Amino acid sequence: MSPPRSFDSVAGRVADLAPVFREPLDSPYEISNELYAALRHVLHDVGGQIDLPLPFREKPEEQWEMDTYVTCECLGWRGAWNSEERRRAENDLGATLYFGLPYYARWATVAAKVLINKGLITPDELTAKIDDVRARLEAGA
Amino acid sequence: MTQYQYGIGDRVTVKDGTTLFHTRTQAFTRGKTGTVVEFRPEWVIPEDEAWGRDDAERGGRYEPFYVVRFRQIDLWPNYTGFDVDTLETEVSEHWLEPAKENQ
Repeated sequence: MSPPRSFDSVAGRVADLAPVFREPLDSPYEISNELYAALRHVLHDVGGQIDLPLPFREKPEEQWEMDTYVTCECLGWRGAWNSEERRRAENDLGATLYFGLPYYARWATVAAKVLINKGLITPDELTAKIDDVRARLEAGA
Repeated sequence: MTQYQYGIGDRVTVKDGTTLFHTRTQAFTRGKTGTVVEFRPEWVIPEDEAWGRDDAERGGRYEPFYVVRFRQIDLWPNYTGFDVDTLETEVSEHWLEPAKENQ
């Protein structure tokens, strides 16, 4: 017998209702070695971790996602970075941003950070460009 | 020619070494013993590549990589699947040591 079609949404709601324990961390005075190891854990290494099923969405890539992918690959081709630097930069975002951003938003975010870090662009150049594009889009809307 | 320290069929244990920063050696393989089943070409280790040291000129260290096959029951303490189930993953040479077990 197959599970009811609503299984994913029910499982998701249960996850929202189930009691959770989060250790509040606010620059504690001391931490255990065990906590330090957990905090250092490379975020993308999720093998074996307990998790709930995610609802599967039949969702094609959006244009901005493919643009991000191609831009990042071209940056690699031109020697600005490599894929492993990107993965490290994604992990280095920290858990909140890593799990909070959509997949390609993570790519776009770390591409910008790595380019700034390497002196290939400046933060003000980037934010000025973002403001340009926003003004253009708002004018066209 | 790449000099492989381990051969196909060798039993190897993944070192349970300290990881400070980036690595691709999965936590669930640390300290676990498996069997070398395939060679992979020599490549820059991820611990260097991740910091932009992605070729010899930039200080990237090349190592042979291996596909190591583990039994699932050796990886997961509460594994409920079949004893013959396996998992394969790629490991660079310096993460491996000869398994200390009686064959």
